[in-house]
Amino acid sequence: MIELLQQILNGLAIGSVYTLVALGLTVVFGILGIAHFAHGSLAMFGGYLTFVFSTTMGLSFFASMALAMPVGAVMGMLIERFGYRPVRDAPHINAFIIALGLTMMLEGGNLLIFGADQVIIQTPYQQVFDFGGIFVAQLRMVVIVTAVTLVAVVTLLLLKTKTGKSVRAVAQNRHAAVLMGVNVNFVSSVVFGISSALGVAAGALIGALLALAPGVGESFAVKGFAVLILGGLGSLPGAILGGLVLGVSESLAAGFISSAYKDVISFLIMILVLLVMPQGLMGKK
Amino acid sequence: MRRFYTNPLMFSLVAVAVALALPHAFKSPYYIHLMTLALIWIVLAQGQNLTQGFVGYVSIAQAGFMGIGAYISTLLTMNFGVSVWATLVIAPLLTGAMAIIAGYPSLRVKGHYFSIVTLAYNMVIFIVLMTFKALTGGEAGIPDVPRPSELTLFGYVFSFEGRSNLNYYALALLAAVLATTCCALVLHSRAGRVMLAIRQNEDLAEAMGVMTSRYKLFAFVMSSIFAGLAGTLYAHYIGFLNPEPFGVDQSLNIILAVILGGSGTLTGPIVGAVSVIFLPELLRFADSFRLIIYGSILVIATIFLPKGLVPLFVTTWQRLRTRKTVAADNKGTSKA
Repeated sequence: MIELLQQILNGLAIGSVYTLVALGLTVVFGILGIAHFAHGSLAMFGGYLTFVFSTTMGLSFFASMALAMPVGAVMGMLIERFGYRPVRDAPHINAFIIALGLTMMLEGGNLLIFGADQVIIQTPYQQVFDFGGIFVAQLRMVVIVTAVTLVAVVTLLLLKTKTGKSVRAVAQNRHAAVLMGVNVNFVSSVVFGISSALGVAAGALIGALLALAPGVGESFAVKGFAVLILGGLGSLPGAILGGLVLGVSESLAAGFISSAYKDVISFLIMILVLLVMPQGLMGKK
Repeated sequence: MRRFYTNPLMFSLVAVAVALALPHAFKSPYYIHLMTLALIWIVLAQGQNLTQGFVGYVSIAQAGFMGIGAYISTLLTMNFGVSVWATLVIAPLLTGAMAIIAGYPSLRVKGHYFSIVTLAYNMVIFIVLMTFKALTGGEAGIPDVPRPSELTLFGYVFSFEGRSNLNYYALALLAAVLATTCCALVLHSRAGRVMLAIRQNEDLAEAMGVMTSRYKLFAFVMSSIFAGLAGTLYAHYIGFLNPEPFGVDQSLNIILAVILGGSGTLTGPIVGAVSVIFLPELLRFADSFRLIIYGSILVIATIFLPKGLVPLFVTTWQRLRTRKTVAADNKGTSKA
């Protein structure tokens, strides 16, 4: 029982990172209909950047993350402007192929700038608390709290601000939004900025919780899309629920079945969900 | 009158003759090795083109299915003593059977979601190949994968041993020709027309009473059979098998080959496969930039050259020819 609770708790920590990745992807998908596969590699870039800021400038973990987020946002905006916007009116599959190309470029860039060695971002949150047999690492709590805060901030931005309103308007009906005077180019830029900043935060948290290495970004992008498929495309609550479900099921699979095959099991869950309910857990029919 | 270069049959015969003659022109064993690889890649790319170019569903599992074919064939020959000639048929078919199981659920989703599910397949295949050490040997791999046994045809003995073997080159060429012919036959059949209809408008095709799922599965399975064949040829050619060439980045390279050559055309995958094999040789001076350069080519080609190299050549050629004939006509009229 205690083992079970322990694994669920561990799963919630990694699941909250998945939620962050998926939130960025779902916002981009909802607004632009793009499967932004390069998101994971951009997140890794942000993670590496956080590492560099914290080691060379001696900044704290959160200060380095806060510094890396705007850099990531600018990169996201550039990617949207020069990568995706030229193919906006072409078939959607072209945008996806661009995304694959951007992934290769970003992965190559990460490899060139930061090297192939595994990197772990050191944080001061090393304590472990014991709650009646359940061990809670302080770092995991910090990760969960950070993720929850960021998700709440972005949700508020989307629900309460005027820009957020125009973002949602474009998501609901692009043509009507254009007719109402919404600047779609501006909205696209903003969406990519927010999504990439979230990605950078996720990358930094992954670097602190697990490790940064070549190829990790791709697997996180796939996990992010698995979350989208689980939760329902373009749905914010779906991304949150899907992320937690994926994290917990992966953690349970690692704890009780086999840690080598945990990714296989999480992908099988995704494929099963597709078979039974193709619209996802929270998606509309 | 049709000139020989516009007649597809004549054109292909000339192309095959040139391909057969090439290794005798370049005696360098290294080039023969690269060209053998390029021919194997043509089989792969033709398969990828079936789903990506004809049906419009970009699968990112082609390298994974290549791996399945390679491992099935290697394990059958090395553990059960099956002849390589038999596994050249069995392994692709078994790969196709796996693709039926994999394709059924994934083809329920459309567009990029299909791509992501197939990407997950490729990752699963890669993880299993890496971790199921008892069967696959894991990262250390399987050494000494045998070549096909000697073949006696019309009194001549063909041996397939040795590096840059010309007979193996011919075998790979045969596979490439077979794959291309299969694609041509499919393209001109009813199934091929349905595939193109799905690419253009799947809902409309369904409304016309076509059971699109069946045709999508057909294309996916056939594409995987090609991948299995390519994998079998690859394993027995290289002679050493580990999971590394069957990862996701290899699948992306295959997509690059199809896009670069021209997706949805028959000659495009050939041009693309050859370019993708020879490109690293040209870019050898910039090895650490290889990924970045590949990615940039993919992005730039998709934005500025969405149809690929082959259609670009064809339109440029036609434009030049019409200009020439127009000029000739003008000369004729001015004289008269």
